[in-house]
Amino acid sequence: MRRLLQLGAVASLTAMLASALAAVLAWRYGETILPFAVTSAMPDPQDGRVADGIYANAYFGLTYPLPKGFGEGLAGPDPSHSGYYVLANLVPQAAGGGMVLIAAQDMFFDTPHRDLAEAASEIRDTMAQIEGMSIDREPAEIAIGRRPASRPAWRIDFNGVGLYRAMIMTEMRCHLVSITLTARDPQEREILAQSLDGVSLTARRDSPVCIRDYASGDQLVRRVVPPDIMPSPTPIPARIIIGSDGTVRHVHVIRATNAQRKGIEQALRQWTFRPHMINGRAVEVETGLALRSGGGKVTSTD
Amino acid sequence: MAKRTFGYTCSLASLTTILVASVSLPSLAPAQGRGPTDPGVRSGAAGAGDPIPGLTDTERAFFEAAKDVFAETDAVPDGLGPRFNLDSCLGCHSQPASGGSAPSVNPQVAVATLAGARNTVPSFITADGPVREARFVRNPDGSPDGGVHGLFVITGRSDAPGCNIAQPNFAAELARNNVVFRIPTPTFGLGLVESTPDAALEAALAANAQQKRTLGISGRFNHNGNDGTIARFGWKAQNKSLLLFAGEAYNVEIGVTNDIFPSEREGNPACQFNHTHPESPTPLVSEGGASPAAGFQSDIALFAAFMRLLAPPTPASATPAAAAAASPSSTTPSSTPASSTVVASASSVLPAAAGTTATAAASSTSATSATVDRGRQVFANVGCAACHTRTQKSGGANVAALSNVTFEPYSDFAVHDMGDRLADGVSQGEATGREFRTAPLWGAGQRIFFLHDGRTNDLGEAIAQHASRGSEANQVIQNFNALSVNDRQAVLNFLRSL
Repeated sequence: MRRLLQLGAVASLTAMLASALAAVLAWRYGETILPFAVTSAMPDPQDGRVADGIYANAYFGLTYPLPKGFGEGLAGPDPSHSGYYVLANLVPQAAGGGMVLIAAQDMFFDTPHRDLAEAASEIRDTMAQIEGMSIDREPAEIAIGRRPASRPAWRIDFNGVGLYRAMIMTEMRCHLVSITLTARDPQEREILAQSLDGVSLTARRDSPVCIRDYASGDQLVRRVVPPDIMPSPTPIPARIIIGSDGTVRHVHVIRATNAQRKGIEQALRQWTFRPHMINGRAVEVETGLALRSGGGKVTSTD
Repeated sequence: MAKRTFGYTCSLASLTTILVASVSLPSLAPAQGRGPTDPGVRSGAAGAGDPIPGLTDTERAFFEAAKDVFAETDAVPDGLGPRFNLDSCLGCHSQPASGGSAPSVNPQVAVATLAGARNTVPSFITADGPVREARFVRNPDGSPDGGVHGLFVITGRSDAPGCNIAQPNFAAELARNNVVFRIPTPTFGLGLVESTPDAALEAALAANAQQKRTLGISGRFNHNGNDGTIARFGWKAQNKSLLLFAGEAYNVEIGVTNDIFPSEREGNPACQFNHTHPESPTPLVSEGGASPAAGFQSDIALFAAFMRLLAPPTPASATPAAAAAASPSSTTPSSTPASSTVVASASSVLPAAAGTTATAAASSTSATSATVDRGRQVFANVGCAACHTRTQKSGGANVAALSNVTFEPYSDFAVHDMGDRLADGVSQGEATGREFRTAPLWGAGQRIFFLHDGRTNDLGEAIAQHASRGSEANQVIQNFNALSVNDRQAVLNFLRSL
């Protein structure tokens, strides 16, 4: 998947207004989760929004005109500790018409796959094991997005108990992005699939290069250990963008408590790296790291 | 020493915590005048409460001794209180058999005034409602609380002269939206759960990770803060072991201090009547009985042993109640009160979530088996089984009957974000105020109350409550709502077969 990551620098164009913070949970919610770390105007994966019938995600450089009559359904959960995002749940505002789920898995925190075909095959095999589920269409490569920025994707169709689904997956900027279509009949599924013809992807030449485990290699020059704020046996996932000068330009703590997030952000901003060179030119790098309490070790208690 | 009794493990949240009202999911909901109906509590044999098959005679004697202790009632000289929620384990864990969940008649109403006690029964405790514990979300200064606040005090009891402490002011806390509830979790089959290696749980969670990606689901384990291993008991998987589970409940629910929780929670010296420390210690002299080993065990060790050796619930392939609901012509909408129809025969002593007619109860058993089988398939296809994982496998255990057993808890034992609607604002371990462990569904057919706070006795409503802003279950519930009425009914029938 390292190869995929290297390839996978799709773009985010305009720096969209950074996260309209999930003004999460007020008084009632004890330990507040603030998933959206806003350290600059750079967009993060979960910052997509629906406006005027179009889903737009600046981080992925993705726009998708919703099928007619569709709008946003219930919001999904916060990004997970494994870097999984529910980006959009799109449903018709009246009965019928199916539904569309757009999700993304950060490949820095995923089991590595050789390529997209292998990932698609794995999904196919998982679905085929479900009692009563049948594969309507074996994984096949397609293209998603309008030319010239279209990109390869894989589509798998399956159905069971009267629900006809298709999963379209592609790789975009360090993430495996999936679009799951669900309908009550094959025709409805195809109508939803056709709606993906409207997807527009914006390539950006200066997108960061995605490199897995970059922060744990020799290229790390200065490491500031985050404060041991709260013991956390589950590693806290963070994503950083390293500028061409080797400084950390952006920190996104994907899932943490507020206290953990602040401490991690402050520490990671002080990390420095050797500039990553491609063809003699220093480039930006995007990478992920999983932090344990104490900066890498589980804190034990007596 | 405290008389041998056990505390229940009530856990979770509130009617008052429903922050987001009804959720509209019109997208795939079929146009219809009526929906599926919860067949209600399955009638017939309990199919639970026995020891796990394959125990040796010695192990079985130990189980029986532990079961007796689980059923004992504590009074103040035994360590009850000063603050408590009930006076026995069995009182909370009795449906459909010893070790189960909340019964149809709530024993907390009677215990409030037992032995001369003068407790006011809080408004959220009713005779036909679930056994509940109450937690406060915040302290008066606004800092997080999350702890259990005993419903009752021993003030006024004949065995507690001079004690004059007051109950918490639940009415005031309710007015502040500061109270959340939990109900007892059933304990059947928990020895198998305890014997399942972390690696097996992790592998099971990872096995369908790809399916979860099509459904918006992630999930993670709640790890113990001391050793970093997976905790798995309780509504938020906050307890690492059955012994810890038992010790906490004995102290928090009944008020009996023990080897794991040796400190009295209420310090008023006028209310301390049992001066051993802890009130329920490990005996140094055998208390005798049919099991010599059990005679040397502490109460909490026996409570844990009882839960550990309890067999999983036995599912049914068909039930009369399920048969009733399988016939569209004989069902009533789930909103119809149970009292408006004739409840199917053997369920008559238990509240049904919705009515089923006597005529319908005569539906053929074979049809019922078919709908249960169909329901199992639908359950898996729409994605319920992505979290309610059907099978797990235990590892090696010192009790051979618990070793390397494939069992069907219908849970991944991971915690998931359940959204605003179910959120209780209480963090435990790594589980946040919105996260809950996937409730094991084995035995659901004979459970009366559902969800952490027992807010409903209607399975259909319990399913609907899974969807709200931020919930990992939203896609699955949308899938479920997209099904035909018959398929949704089949799911309910299947669940009542468990």
